[in-house]
Amino acid sequence: MMEGTISNQIRFLRFRNREMSQAELGLRVGVTRQTIAAIEAGKYSPSLDTAFRIAQVFNVPLGEVFQWNSGANPGANPGPAS
Amino acid sequence: MPYKEKTAWLSLFAIVVTYGPYFTIILQGSFPKRPMPDFRQLALFGMFAVAQMVILGVGHLYNFLNAPEEARIPADERDRDIHRRSLTAAYSVLIFSMIVVGVVMPFYYQGWTIINSTLFAIIASEIVHYSVVIFCYRRQS
Repeated sequence: MMEGTISNQIRFLRFRNREMSQAELGLRVGVTRQTIAAIEAGKYSPSLDTAFRIAQVFNVPLGEVFQWNSGANPGANPGPAS
Repeated sequence: MPYKEKTAWLSLFAIVVTYGPYFTIILQGSFPKRPMPDFRQLALFGMFAVAQMVILGVGHLYNFLNAPEEARIPADERDRDIHRRSLTAAYSVLIFSMIVVGVVMPFYYQGWTIINSTLFAIIASEIVHYSVVIFCYRRQS
């Protein structure tokens, strides 16, 4: 099985969107504030449905919110898109 | 702390403070054994079961009054995922215990020993259930 980790730019995107709170993002996505905190911390991987909803809230493509960091290439995190 | 974690803590607390003393009394052998059906034993269990329900009732009311908005939030996908994981772990404990109590123990024991072992199996699986819920919320997974 291909190994790797999922990173995300939710903190950065919240900051870029007028410091949107985790609670507000959670409300708009349909999950609790704690779930947003867990996703942001990389402790919980959301469903594809929730991932798309988060991207939709920030009006960016999914790949700009979540990145797949392959185990073979740990430096592959592209970082926040400008 | 998420509301569902508070609920799990409450349930775990209620189990420990009621069934802890109950099984301590049973294991110490301080409760006199009588031939079946031993209604005094049943009354003893009933007393602790009612105590658990009272603790849960008061605790749930206290939690609800302290955070009514949080109490109304429906479970999201992570809550459901945690619930599913905790049930899987609890089911493993329950099925193993039930095999021991229902298949092995009847060859060696009878009466209230079997009944109390069954109760212990259910309580143990409940403890695992709530412990996994708390563990998952604690580590944010």
